[in-house]
Amino acid sequence: MIKVKNLTKVYGDRKAIDNLSFEIAKGEVVGFLGPNGAGKSTTMKIITGFMAPTSGEAMIGGEDVFENPVAVKKKIGYLPEAPPLYPEMKVKDYLKFVAELKSVPADKIKEYIDYALSATQLNEVAHRRIENLSKGFRQRVGIAQALVSQPEVLILDEPTVGLDPNQVAEIRSLINSLKGKHTIIFSTHILSEVQATCERYIIINEGKIISHKSLVSEAGASQKVIKTLCFNESGMNGLVAKLNSLKFVNSVKVNGKELIISFEGESSHIAELSKVIATSEAGLVSFSIEQDSLEDVFIKLTSKKESKDGGNQ
Amino acid sequence: MRAIKAIAWKDFKTIVFSPTFFIIAFLCSAIWGSNFMRAVIQFAYQSSNPMQLGGGNLNLHYNLFVSLVSFVNIIFIFAIPAITMKLISEEKKQKSYDLLLTSPITSTDIAVGKFVAGFGVSLLLIGITLFYPMLLSFFAKFSWTVLLVAYAGLVLVTALYVALGLLASSITQSSVLSVILGIVFNLILWLMAQAAMSAKGSAAVEFFEYISVPNQLYAFLKGTMSVGGLVFFLSVIIFFVFLTQRMIEATRWR
Ligand SMILES: Nc1ncnc2c1ncn2[C@@H]1O[C@H](COP(=O)(O)OP(=O)(O)O)[C@@H](O)[C@H]1O
Ligand SMILES: [Mg+2]
Repeated sequence: MIKVKNLTKVYGDRKAIDNLSFEIAKGEVVGFLGPNGAGKSTTMKIITGFMAPTSGEAMIGGEDVFENPVAVKKKIGYLPEAPPLYPEMKVKDYLKFVAELKSVPADKIKEYIDYALSATQLNEVAHRRIENLSKGFRQRVGIAQALVSQPEVLILDEPTVGLDPNQVAEIRSLINSLKGKHTIIFSTHILSEVQATCERYIIINEGKIISHKSLVSEAGASQKVIKTLCFNESGMNGLVAKLNSLKFVNSVKVNGKELIISFEGESSHIAELSKVIATSEAGLVSFSIEQDSLEDVFIKLTSKKESKDGGNQ
Repeated sequence: MRAIKAIAWKDFKTIVFSPTFFIIAFLCSAIWGSNFMRAVIQFAYQSSNPMQLGGGNLNLHYNLFVSLVSFVNIIFIFAIPAITMKLISEEKKQKSYDLLLTSPITSTDIAVGKFVAGFGVSLLLIGITLFYPMLLSFFAKFSWTVLLVAYAGLVLVTALYVALGLLASSITQSSVLSVILGIVFNLILWLMAQAAMSAKGSAAVEFFEYISVPNQLYAFLKGTMSVGGLVFFLSVIIFFVFLTQRMIEATRWR
């Protein structure tokens, strides 16, 4: 559905994104994860046809965004970083205006507005002026605006930023409720957001894709991480070698007396791992199963950036 | 076409219901009203004076309506940029520009829709000024045809100010800067007439006279409508709307 190939955007002498390539299939919900300044918004602005890339191409439904802008934009609902609202307009009038811009057929406008209003639970404020709404409501109007043309593709740029925890939970469940109806790509710098709503994630940092994985592997089991603390360092080398020889283990990292093992997380694998570790020379102190490897990847990525920045100063 | 209508109607309502428009409309009617009253009193005094030449219809047109429309024109040089100031600059500032630029519409749709909105609001202001001749028609006889030709000139020159104000609005995010730029553009139009006077050679003089807005407007005010004048105004208006369209298009290729 969405195909991005060798996308590069240079602002002045600064590369915001660097040779980005990825594909998103129809119906997927994909999290676009990265720290601030990673290039998430820049990528989305190019996919939505807001601005042209320096080089590379973006396609939606097989059509190039910059060769057939009008046709492509009909398929997209887009929530920019700042919701594109007119403060003086009433919510319903605003949605009607957007529906007309998106060339929703005249006989469908009413139905589509009602759909967007109820999907975002805005019915009770439909006749209020946007400037009088709270931030959470305004964000929902922003999402309603993206939904109102019932587009095939939804592109949401940090839909939960600046909201309080309750509002964040609401937006998350809204995105969950939209699964299956649209192909969704949304950006965030918060890890738990991706875990709560996505089937797949793309981690981007300094304009490059760092990691590109499905949260659900083919077998239906997600990748898991076990952290083990040992008391006998001399026995650890043998244990690491043994763990690495197991087929379902992806990687083993040694951190002092701690081992971080990531593997394909099926229950039979956990049983086998615990047996191997418990019977080894290293001596088991503790054994804990982490949620999955995403957190590790993300923390490593962001902390690396911080230490690098620190080194520059 | 539908997008043009949607944009034009949205912006028209936004301007008409804004305090800025209310203030401008109020000030304009106050200024024009008092100015017109003074002109009427002066005209009545002069025509009752036996030393003046007789006061036919044409005289009334020259003494009252030409000065009314010229005066409205002068006010518009400053008022129209205040009407058009937010048309594009505010979209940029409020980030709603992102919506327009990612909608399945062309830059031409945006430029034309916004021009129509600004022009529509200006027609409301012009409508206010029609009140004075209507009032006068109860007391005096005059030629409506000649007056309407003068108004056609006013409508055309106003549309030109709208196009220039729109261009100014597409250049900046600040509405203050947008007003100032718009006024400067309008003044430059009028100052260009000076070039006609200093031009040498008959061909050059003819050319500068043709592109001189005051000359073209004055022909309409006298009651002579020419195809040349119409073509002049329409082509200059289209040219500046086109420049605005280029400005919008340029933001996509930064
Ligand atoms: N209009 C712009 N002009 C210059 N630099 C920009 C502009 N927009 C973004 N950048 C830079 O490009 C990089 C990526 O920005 P952005 O795509 O907004 O990141 P994110 O959305 O992931 O926070 C940042 O370093 C940012 O400073
Ligand atoms: Mg961003």
